[in-house]
Amino acid sequence: MKQRGLTRIHRAVAAGATIVAFAFTGCSTSGTSSSVNAGDGLNEQATLSYTIWDAAQKPAMQKIVDEFTKIHPNITINIDVVGTKDYWTKMQTAVSAGSGPDVFWMNGPNFALYASNGTLAPLDSSLVDTSNYPKALVDLYSLDGKLYGAPKDFDTIGVFYNKRLFQEAGVPLPTAGWTWDDFKADVAKLTNKSAGVYGIASAPYGQMTFYNTIYQAGGEVINAAHDQIGYGSPQAAEGVGIWADFIKNGQSPTIQQMTDTWPGDSFGSGKVAMFWDGSWGAAGYAKSAEGKNIDVAPLPMGPHGNQSVIHGLANVANAQSKHLAAAKAFAAFASGKEAADIMAATGTVIPAFNGTQEAWVKAIPGMNLQIFLDEATSAIPYPISKNTSAWNAIESDIIPQILSGKVSVEAGLADLAAKAQAELDKEK
Amino acid sequence: MSEALSGSAAVHRPGRGNGRPWLRHWAIHLVLIVGSAFMVFPFVWEFLTAFKTYGGSVLVPPQWIPDPWTWNFGAVFDSIPLGQMALNSVIITLARTLGQVILCTMAGYGFARLNFPLRGPLFLVFLSVLMVPSQLFLLPQFEILRSLGLLNSLEGIVLPGLFSAFGTFLMRQFFMSMPLELEEAARLDGANPWQVFWRVMLPLAKPGIVALAVFTALWSWNDLLWPLIIVSDADKQPLSVGISLLASDPHNQTNYPVLMAAALLAMLPMLVTFIVLQRQFIAGIAFTGSKG
Amino acid sequence: MKLTAPQTAAPIVDPGRERATAPARRGRGPHTSAWWALLFVGPTFAGLAVFYLYPTVRTIWISLNDMGPFGRPTFVGLDNYAKLFADDVFVTALRNTFVYSLIVLLGIPIATVIAALLNTPGLRGRGVYRTLFFLPVVTLPAVVALVWRLIYNGDYGILNQALGYLGIRGTSWVTNPHTALVAISVVGIWMGLGTNIVILLAGLQSIPDSAFEAAKIDGAGPVRTFISITVPLLSPSIFIVSVIGIIGSLQVFDIIYLMLGNDQNPVKPEVRSVVYTFYQFGFGRNQYGYAAAIGLALMVIVLALTAVQFWLQKKWVHYE
Repeated sequence: MKQRGLTRIHRAVAAGATIVAFAFTGCSTSGTSSSVNAGDGLNEQATLSYTIWDAAQKPAMQKIVDEFTKIHPNITINIDVVGTKDYWTKMQTAVSAGSGPDVFWMNGPNFALYASNGTLAPLDSSLVDTSNYPKALVDLYSLDGKLYGAPKDFDTIGVFYNKRLFQEAGVPLPTAGWTWDDFKADVAKLTNKSAGVYGIASAPYGQMTFYNTIYQAGGEVINAAHDQIGYGSPQAAEGVGIWADFIKNGQSPTIQQMTDTWPGDSFGSGKVAMFWDGSWGAAGYAKSAEGKNIDVAPLPMGPHGNQSVIHGLANVANAQSKHLAAAKAFAAFASGKEAADIMAATGTVIPAFNGTQEAWVKAIPGMNLQIFLDEATSAIPYPISKNTSAWNAIESDIIPQILSGKVSVEAGLADLAAKAQAELDKEK
Repeated sequence: MSEALSGSAAVHRPGRGNGRPWLRHWAIHLVLIVGSAFMVFPFVWEFLTAFKTYGGSVLVPPQWIPDPWTWNFGAVFDSIPLGQMALNSVIITLARTLGQVILCTMAGYGFARLNFPLRGPLFLVFLSVLMVPSQLFLLPQFEILRSLGLLNSLEGIVLPGLFSAFGTFLMRQFFMSMPLELEEAARLDGANPWQVFWRVMLPLAKPGIVALAVFTALWSWNDLLWPLIIVSDADKQPLSVGISLLASDPHNQTNYPVLMAAALLAMLPMLVTFIVLQRQFIAGIAFTGSKG
Repeated sequence: MKLTAPQTAAPIVDPGRERATAPARRGRGPHTSAWWALLFVGPTFAGLAVFYLYPTVRTIWISLNDMGPFGRPTFVGLDNYAKLFADDVFVTALRNTFVYSLIVLLGIPIATVIAALLNTPGLRGRGVYRTLFFLPVVTLPAVVALVWRLIYNGDYGILNQALGYLGIRGTSWVTNPHTALVAISVVGIWMGLGTNIVILLAGLQSIPDSAFEAAKIDGAGPVRTFISITVPLLSPSIFIVSVIGIIGSLQVFDIIYLMLGNDQNPVKPEVRSVVYTFYQFGFGRNQYGYAAAIGLALMVIVLALTAVQFWLQKKWVHYE
């Protein structure tokens, strides 16, 4: 019985090996024939993989793929949606093993990491005309003067507010040009302990709150060369301090409360009167319980202006793609004019291509979404470096302590600045 | 209560007669009802939330009873290819469960009843596999599968899952807790180890095998990270990946009602399998009575 | 390790027994046994070697390097390990993980009692109870965390509402540094009860009636029977439940990550586990070499604790 078993196994292995051998010869044959026409590489049969992380945008992406396939019928593109939580885990694993998708979405914090390690293909001017996009985004996705990501969409920050709560408190609604002082005064008047209403929520998320106020105070989070942290300056202290004060004065839910309950949900339920959030939040707030009472205002003026941080996604091409020319062409196309029009029509994101944003602005009639577009012109690129997540992690540890008053603003920021700078120095 | 803790079926307690089972066991039922209510509670929330609107699901303070009652199950099918994913999950789970039941039962028996050189150290090597956080395996396993050409395939998902140190350990324990007499009898009759295993031990190990099958099926059904990493095509992904997609909205606006609806649907096959396999437990009682 | 090998290899209780079976196998001889072992154990060993042992070796190599996410390792020898034990983050993570595991161990006696109750002959609705106890096991971890965070919510949580009726003012259980770890551990117990009950029930089925009849004849009461008969005869199953339980809870990640809610939870230092820290350094801060060292350090610790458990088993586990 043992003998029979082994012989069977031998035969199975032999069969398997033969099949594998055939498969390889099959591959190499087609390989040689296509390398003969390797001129522009766009005419060969190719199947590309396109990885994204937002299931809500998949229908729009599918339309973009269909448009591209009409122009290049020999190229098939498969879309893979991976949830945000796992996207970078999967991407790193695959790219490290030399096997990532051909085209995929990139964001600011991860950009420099991927670009500086040579995993992204440069997109030259024949593919992407940078004058079609906001300058801040082009800067965000360029390294050493070369563009590696084609800007796909952008988001800026606005002040969402609840009209009903303003009217009930007898506070005039925010108008363009309102200042930090107006803002602070409104927060004080809107906070109503007995009714369980807070004027504002000091969410410890930089992009939504304190990054913006740091720049508005005249400071910076990181310098343009991405090698110097700006948290140690007095302007940074001013920018962070304003949020800590709200919690100290009982005008914002505490850090603990905001960890228990997402402040956006509290805002949508009428427990918070104002909430600084990104343009992406508009759709959700429109569907919330207070939906019809919610509108949005531009950021208030600080000592140095009312800049918002701008961020956006980019389509990037994998430098190790087996169909590099096709991958680069699609990455550029997915951020081009036709793609932008398709994205605008769905109302899910603000396309980055200049002049295509009208449809998004009109998507929610009750909200003044134009302010998000206006802010793009003066916006600051989202602060990044080669290993952004290293010092972001330190921010997540220290900022909540500062905001909750466990450490003073000056001491906390000095600590943060020192530790973050140490991480930055490791990047050299 | 005494019968419960002693597990014996055959004893009559004089003086109590055959009272109604509910009354006799009232204390037991009380404990079990309280216990199971505690267990079931989050499931109740899951069920109710599946019928809320998005606005209702994020209301602060939380809304218990949906108002208005909304049908979200259709939206699940719009968001992910549920049918295909369910099929994938079934195939993957069946393959991995069958594979583990066969391989781990054999390996467990080998460690429990066969004497061979280096048995002890080898078992420790097996156990050491359990002690490494599984995330550490991700990259090397990915590379192995890539060189085998099994990326983006159901086979690739199944392959590493056929081998389990936990399953081996579980079956070893079960085999070791069985009395030796039957085995010895078979051996004295001249049976070789395979025949002893196949004809004598395997039938006796049914409860253990059922337990192993239940665990493996459950683990396989909910396994998320591995299929996520190696499969890119949506039509080859299992349910767990689809659900994780619904749970990770990039802007903190997870559509909870749809997520709960999908989670309920995804849970059904496992629940049904468990209820069906439970009968095997009952069959086990019959065999227990014939021993000893 | 050599010390524990004999314990794991041989059944414990009766050395006389072992000798009694040896002559029966004499005809086979050790050589033949090795071939049979190959048949039984070989396939699983081969698979584990390829998919788990080789990756472990590779991870050991990675841990001896300074490595970013895209390769390019720089050899640093045992530097990563030296840094580990001086690193406050790792040490507190280790402490948290131990506390979590200890609390979750409490789930085992609870599961044993419930399994025994469920095993009551003639119990009506047994299948229904079993299914209900099993429900948490089939519920998605993300959903479990969602609901438990609602229960524990400081302002609107059900726990605090219930406590309010008793006149006790509750806190925000998941953001209060004194309560967060315990609160999360309770969820850990809750999640594991179903699987433990299944294993223990299977073990209970294997206990022959003769043992209980003997106890009855000797006049033992229910509790006495439970302690002197049920538990010892169930001990192989209890053993596996506790070994697997400890191995599993020392590697806890999912529930910690989900219950914390976000990266800005101020009690992160009091709660994060070793694997959570591994994840942060590996996929968060992109320091793969250090992360690998964390993972392997954990493996050594788990190995040591498991070896201790196996050594202890001869004191309390009964095999036939």
